[in-house]
Amino acid sequence: MTDTITPPATAAPATERPRRARRPYLADRAGRGWVIGRTALLLAGAVLTLFPFYAMVVLSLKPTGPVTFPDSLLPWPFSTEAYDQVIGAKSVLRWMGNTLVYSVVSVVGVLLFASMAGYAFAKKRFPGKETMFWSFLAMLMVPYHVTMIPTFIIISELNGVDTYWGMIVPTLANAQAVFLMRQFIASLPDSLFEAARLDGCSEWRVYVSIVLPLIKPILATLGVFVFLWHWNDFLWPLIVGQSLDMRTLTTGIASLQQENVPLNMLLAGSVVAFVPIFMAYLIGQRYFQEGVSTTGIKG
Amino acid sequence: MVALPESQVRRPRRPGSEVRRLRRPSAREAGTALLFVLPFLLLFAIFRFGPAIAGVILGFTDYTIGGDTSWAGLENFRRLVDDPTFWSALRVTVVFTALSVPLSMLASLGMALLTRRAFRGAKLFRSIFFLPVVTSLVLAGVVFTWVFADGGPWSRAMGALGLPAGSWLADSALVVPALVLVSVWSRFGYGMLILLARLQDIPAELEEAALTDGASAWQRFRYVTLPQLRPALFFVAIIETTVSFQVFDMIYVMTGGGPVRSSYSLVYLLYDQGFKYFDLGYASAVGVALFVMTIVVALIQRLTLGREE
Repeated sequence: MTDTITPPATAAPATERPRRARRPYLADRAGRGWVIGRTALLLAGAVLTLFPFYAMVVLSLKPTGPVTFPDSLLPWPFSTEAYDQVIGAKSVLRWMGNTLVYSVVSVVGVLLFASMAGYAFAKKRFPGKETMFWSFLAMLMVPYHVTMIPTFIIISELNGVDTYWGMIVPTLANAQAVFLMRQFIASLPDSLFEAARLDGCSEWRVYVSIVLPLIKPILATLGVFVFLWHWNDFLWPLIVGQSLDMRTLTTGIASLQQENVPLNMLLAGSVVAFVPIFMAYLIGQRYFQEGVSTTGIKG
Repeated sequence: MVALPESQVRRPRRPGSEVRRLRRPSAREAGTALLFVLPFLLLFAIFRFGPAIAGVILGFTDYTIGGDTSWAGLENFRRLVDDPTFWSALRVTVVFTALSVPLSMLASLGMALLTRRAFRGAKLFRSIFFLPVVTSLVLAGVVFTWVFADGGPWSRAMGALGLPAGSWLADSALVVPALVLVSVWSRFGYGMLILLARLQDIPAELEEAALTDGASAWQRFRYVTLPQLRPALFFVAIIETTVSFQVFDMIYVMTGGGPVRSSYSLVYLLYDQGFKYFDLGYASAVGVALFVMTIVVALIQRLTLGREE
């Protein structure tokens, strides 16, 4: 898990950013030359950006054998052999399951703990609040790799190496998530909570039935990012999940590459690992883009 | 680093809530609030705060897994300075960063300016450019290994242009530039989105005024857009530098640090020392060096890019 930095973001909820209506002005006066030039540049950029994805898919749909260029970029000879091998392999299925557990459990954990803490920081007063908050901030400056070594020592002392909990629990201490939650919850009017409290609701009840429904947008935004970070995470799973059975898709594919597995199988594995992220991206695209542009959360 | 404390100015509150705010928090209120913070606080203390401090202290100890721990003072850092591998890893990391951050930012700025206006397809292009950002560098590394292979697309294209053909990943002079290209591909979409958000907020009146005064496109960009983008550019520069300093995943997959350590980065050194040779004290010293570098560069960027006009 990498840590990220919160910029001076707007306190506006990440889903609706009020923008002034704009008159289209310069575009109207832009000449045809500009439009053609812009389109050409953008198309060139898009082709270069998408080429690796195209190569990944096409090369994974080839029979095992020598890969030559450029004819290997044509979609024939077509064969799903690599996929049969990869999806049939016990270890790959296991890695997929591991990645899913690592990502989903972490998302739930981060969202739960960060929203609880964020609510208290935004709407409550308690001793030590400022000190805690500044210590969270200060820790964002320490590179992840400095903390990773002692964290690994702690986990190995507690016999957490090669276990799910050992992989997941340290990543739940995500200060970035608490900042985002606090910022979002602080922008909600107090009266929403006051009324419930006057009606005699317990704090937990207020949190579950009022806070959680109100912060759905930020939960969704943060959720897709935490999922993405964990799905693509590499270094931490590499050192904690050392046995064959505890690898994730990223560390598993990297280990396959070192064993000189044929390219079509490596790429079939890559496609299998990429599809869930791609789906998440298609569905949660708005959250990804809004998340980056309003909070500066790291992609 | 870039987080700003909220202003001390209290927003006016609704009537009725002031009364609650002005008296001291009751013990009960404080108690429940602490209970809400407690789970995160424990996790943070054990897995972030403690290790961050321990990570710096470990740099001054001799600690190996299964061995004894002893205070080593500056011994690790002395070893670091005498270690040619450290210097070459430092060089690789700095060269990689010095190339990839400006290039990535140029691509970010270019694509942000091109997709700035709402035209048909603008959204699609933005989505395409952001796609590599959400793609794991391990997967990208596997594909790019093939792209840069001898006789692969890149070497053919370079050969056709009369540039060095052959496998860039196997050439100690060209391996870092090849990695930089992958890094730019994977990161520029992030900067593009940040800059776009800022571009949308620039008041149209500013540019219209410049236009009315007869400013050329370049002048409008240079004297109107660029100064407005400065804070966002500073933010992107800091993030991208931090990310580049920590480059590891794609090197591990694409080159394994080779050929002959010519793509061996600082984090790779930290990983090898800590988790291959279990010399965790020495690995922490590398981590401390990385920490110091990050802070120094952030300060330099603060003074150059971040200064007020």
